[in-house]
This record gives sequence, structure tokens and C-alpha cells, in this order.
Amino acid sequence: MSLLDICWLALRNLRQSKLRASLTTSGVVIGVAVIISMISFGLGLQRDALSRFQNLDGLSEIHVFGSTLFSLAAKQQQGNSRTPQAATQQTAGGEFVPDYIPERALDDRALEEIAQIPGVVYVKPHINFSAYARANNRTIMDTFRGAPVPDPSSRLKSYAVGRMINSPDVDEVVVTQSFVRRFGYAKTADAVGQTVEIMDAPEAKDDAKPDDLVVARTYRIVGVLAEDPGGNRFRGLAAPSNIYLPLDAARSWKEEHPDPLSRVALRLAQKNGTVSRSQSVAFTSAVVRVNDPVQMQAVRTRLSQLGFGSFSFVDEFKQIRSIFLIINSALALLGGISLLVASLGITNTMLMSAFERTREIGIMKAIGAEEWEIKQIFFVEASVIGLVGGILGALLAWGVDALANRLAYRFILQPQGVEYLEFFHLPPALWICAVALALFVSMLAAFYPTARAARVDPVTALRHD
Amino acid sequence: MQTLLETQKVSKLYRMGRVEVPALVDASLSIGEQEFVTISGTSGSGKSTLLNIVGGLDHPSAGEVIFEGRPLVLANKKKMAQYRRFSVGMIFQNFNLIPSMTAIDNVALALAFGGVRGSERRRRANELLTRVGLKERVDHRPAELSGGEQQRVAIARALANRPRLLLADEPSGNLDSTRAEDILSLLRDMVQQDGLTVLMVTHDRELGARFATRNISMKDGRIDHESTRHLLARSA
Repeated sequence: MSLLDICWLALRNLRQSKLRASLTTSGVVIGVAVIISMISFGLGLQRDALSRFQNLDGLSEIHVFGSTLFSLAAKQQQGNSRTPQAATQQTAGGEFVPDYIPERALDDRALEEIAQIPGVVYVKPHINFSAYARANNRTIMDTFRGAPVPDPSSRLKSYAVGRMINSPDVDEVVVTQSFVRRFGYAKTADAVGQTVEIMDAPEAKDDAKPDDLVVARTYRIVGVLAEDPGGNRFRGLAAPSNIYLPLDAARSWKEEHPDPLSRVALRLAQKNGTVSRSQSVAFTSAVVRVNDPVQMQAVRTRLSQLGFGSFSFVDEFKQIRSIFLIINSALALLGGISLLVASLGITNTMLMSAFERTREIGIMKAIGAEEWEIKQIFFVEASVIGLVGGILGALLAWGVDALANRLAYRFILQPQGVEYLEFFHLPPALWICAVALALFVSMLAAFYPTARAARVDPVTALRHD
Repeated sequence: MQTLLETQKVSKLYRMGRVEVPALVDASLSIGEQEFVTISGTSGSGKSTLLNIVGGLDHPSAGEVIFEGRPLVLANKKKMAQYRRFSVGMIFQNFNLIPSMTAIDNVALALAFGGVRGSERRRRANELLTRVGLKERVDHRPAELSGGEQQRVAIARALANRPRLLLADEPSGNLDSTRAEDILSLLRDMVQQDGLTVLMVTHDRELGARFATRNISMKDGRIDHESTRHLLARSA
């Protein structure tokens, strides 16, 4: 007997007891709808909580730390016995704390090594400096920061006015709105096109007047950022600065204008061999970007083996995820109970059906049906109940979720002025899994009734009228 | 005459609590091709049990059933299903049609188990129903058919997969005498024209004697060889 015939017989049987089949199916519909709604509620919560992180670069960036120049300078020449030492958890003025105490200088060679680690997209040192800037006829000390051009992260992307620096070797900068305020521009747009000059005081020579300042470098402002990187929406691991210039320009400024303490420390570190002779400027930290957050842990392990400390948001992330895993499991369990009840309904229906059709099964056996053919008919019946119930349940859950999302927005979020949020999140995988689960459970529920049906003794079955 | 079916010392014991009740004791018989054999006896004489064992529906407690020279492999469920499907056809006193299916669907179901597909299945079912004289009634459900017509549908179904042996358990028991004669003469025609072999259980020895070639009597689970006799088939 072909599968088509078996399906035809199964559907015929279902049609003959329409009411019973549809009641059983509605049990599955409710079970599946509950399970999907429960899980989608959990997923919605999780998504809303995590979306704040998702927008950040924190998920794919690692903050890597090298030894400070001063600790390197203090170090006597030592052997190469390295055991990574866990850093004590102390927060120094809101800074990120590395997992291990760094033991190596983050010099150019180190950056190259880090760039070679599998999964690393790029590594960029943090170069910050403070200098006196002159703009709009005001000379104020401000903070500068080197930025990769173009910036592959999500930073430096949205502008109130203007645009990002065009290429890595042009004399252009972008500034923050607080820069605009500090330097007294009337409107944000006024700053664009203006110049920022970095001021320097040359060493006093006999013929120079002591109050003479010189313009060391001149940049054109091409953009004003829409929001301050250090503002309330903290994006990733970059510490705030007011003026962003190309990375190489920032580096060369630092090389040319080292502060006296750093200069001495660099010399000492070069002397004791912890920093290479060719190194002209020392970095204490850098950003490593990985192409897949999954690889983050492997990259971090490698970093600690190389002797660097690191920090990433994924640490906190893991804990949040595990909490949601518990919440989702509890919700799924509640939904699972309703599906379990539905499966008992299926078992009951199939048992009734097997009992009612004892004679029919006997007839089929007498004309040559094999046990597996009888079993298949019953399995197909149960599968149809499971599949139809699963699909209708998924549709019901979709409707309920959509309605609940609208109502929650209309009556809870909107009055409070909160933007639209998905309370229930229904990814396609959840649908598919729920329908597959319903199918699986219904077949499981049909197991015993099916075995009983197949065992019907034709002699007994045909005897009773 | 070639032997089609043989039973060798077939016995069946039913266990009722602690007591074992013998339903069939050492039944041995041999049926040749194109024979029309009746088994007669009082109720409880074991004739239906013997028929069920020969039809592969029931298992004997002892003894062997040999069909076309080969013993039935009783332990192999698949082989037994195949035997019921292709080697024997069965009809019953209460017809045992599936009430929710039309005549043609009842016949087609047997063809489906026999692996006949698509339009061929429908064609064969029509042909079989025409053969039993129900050409005009193919789309009727059993409830819309008379007893005689239902038994004809059952015969068409039993012969769907071209078995060589038809087993009939009181086929005329629920029919009035005219219809009973119609059914038996149809069976006789099939024996004479289509080369079928029929083994029929009946309590109406008189009626059986008019159509069968041989009668086997049974009493208390045993074949009563004394009263078993060859009959002269009176051709119509």
C-alpha cells in the first residue's frame, strides 16, 4: 500500500469523526499557541534588554592593555617566566579593568602580533593627547583623539552637520557639539569649514619674546558629531574626546611632542629592553575588533598568552544571557505543560479511534494488511492533528503577539512617551520549532494507541457485530 | 487433480482460565484444485476455527497447513499477511464490508493492499464488481445494498488479488433461500469457469450438497471421516 493510500485512509478517518478530530486539534492549537507566546515573550524581553548592547561596538571589540611606560621603565631585566596574573577587580575612575595584569609593552611589534591572531579584523592603538586649540578666536586646552579613517566601527557615523574626515592623510578634523559650545560658535553649522589650530610654544631663544605662541598645525573642521561619544549613549569602548583627527596625524603629534616624563620613561624602558629601540611612542591601550563575537574568547585567551590584559563587554553579556536562559526555560516549561495536556488528548482520541475501528482493522488484516500499514494509518492521523494544530497554533500565537504588542504600545508605552518596543518577539525559527515539536509530540502520543491498533486479533475483531 | 491445500493434524486449544478447551483436534484434510468443498457440522464443532487457521487469521496450537506444497510460516507476520493478501480470499456470514466505503472503495482497498495503483485499481474494481453482477451498484454504500448484494461485494473484494482459494464462512447464513442459492451458484460458476477453489463452512448441509463437489463433516473438533462424502456435482 502506497503512502498516498495511507494518507487518504487517515484523512478519511479524520473526516468521519470531524468533531472529535477538531476538538483534539484545538487542544494542540492552544498548547502550541501558549508555548510560542511564552517563549516569544521571553525573547522579546531579552531582545529589548540586549538591544541596548547590540547597537554598541562592545560586542565585537576588545580593549587590550599593555604595561604602562612607567612600570616598564621601573622594571629590571627579568627572565621570561610568565604566568598570567589575574587582576584584582578595582575600578579606577570608571576605567575598564583588564582581566590580567599586562606584562608587555603595547608597541608596534606587539600590535603586529595581535593583528595576526585569527579572527582579528584590525587593531588600533588609542592615541589621545591634550593640547591648546585655537578656534573662533579662543585658545582653550582640549582633548584630541586619533581616529581610523574611515572608521570601521559604528562610531563617528552620524553628524549634526557635515561629514567624516575624507581620507587618512588630509588635514581635517571632526568635533563634538561640546566643542562647538566651548569655543563659542553661535550655531553648530558655523563651526564647519572653520579651522582648528594646535598651538605650541617654541623653546625660548635669545631673540624670541617669551609670550610668542606658534601655530603648530592647522586643521579644517568638516563635521560636527550628532551626539557626544562620551554622552549618555555610550558607544563601545572609546573614551570621549572633543576633537578627532586622523590616527597617523595624532601619532606623529605625540612623537613630536612627548611630555618630559614620558620621554624619560621611554628611554629607561628602551634601556632595560622592555621596549624596542626603534619605538618612538608608547601606547597603553588599543582596540581589537573581531569579526565574530563567538571568537572573542579565543582571541582574549591568546592576548593573555601574549602578555596583555583585555576587557570586553561580553563578560557582562554572558551573565545576562544566562539569566534569560533561565527565564525562557521557565516560560517554555509552562507552555510545555499545555502541550503535554494536548498530547494526552491526542492519546485519548487515538485510543478511542482504535477501539471504535477494531472491526475495520480486523477486516483490513483479513484482506492482507500488514501491521506497519495499520500503524502508519494511525501515525498519519496523529501527525495531521499535530501538524494542523501546530500551524494553526503558530498563527494564533502570531495574532495574539501582534495584538499584545499593539495594545502594550498603545496603552503602556505611548502614554509614557516611550518608543515602540516589541514585547513579544517571534523569530521564524520559533515557529518552525514549535510546529515540529507539536508534530513530534503528537506522534509520540499516538505511539501506544497505534501499537494497540496493530495488535488487534482479526478473529476476535471479525466475530463481534 | 493437483492438491492445493492440505492440513496435517491441525489442533487448536483455547485456554479458559485453568482449563484447556480443544476447539480442533488433529484435523487433516486435503483439497484439490477447482474443488468446491463444504465443511458442515453443528455450532462449536470447530469448522470456523479450521477455516480461520486455513485463512491465516488464526494460529494452530499444533499441526501444519500446507498451501501449494509449501508449509505456512506461521511465525512470520509479513509472510502471513502476504498469504492472506494474495493466496486466499475470505468471505463471512456478516459480509464484513467497511460501512463508510462504497462498494467500489471496499474492493479498491483490497487492491490497494495488493499494490495495484491508480486507474488500474479502479478499472479492476469495476471489472470485479461487474463479474459478481453489481455493475450498476458500484457507488452504493453497504447500507444501501441488500444482503445478497453485500455478499457479492465481499466476494469481489475477496477475489481482488486473484487468490486461488476462496474461504467462505457461512456465506448464505444471513440470506433468504433465493439469495443464498444465487450466491452459491455464483461460487460454483467461479469454480467451473475461473478455476477457483472454494472451501465453505455451512450448517445447511442440504443447500451445500446441491452445489459442492465434496462435503466434510465435523463433530466435537474432529473431522468425521465416516460421514464425509463425495457429492455428485449437479451442474445447472
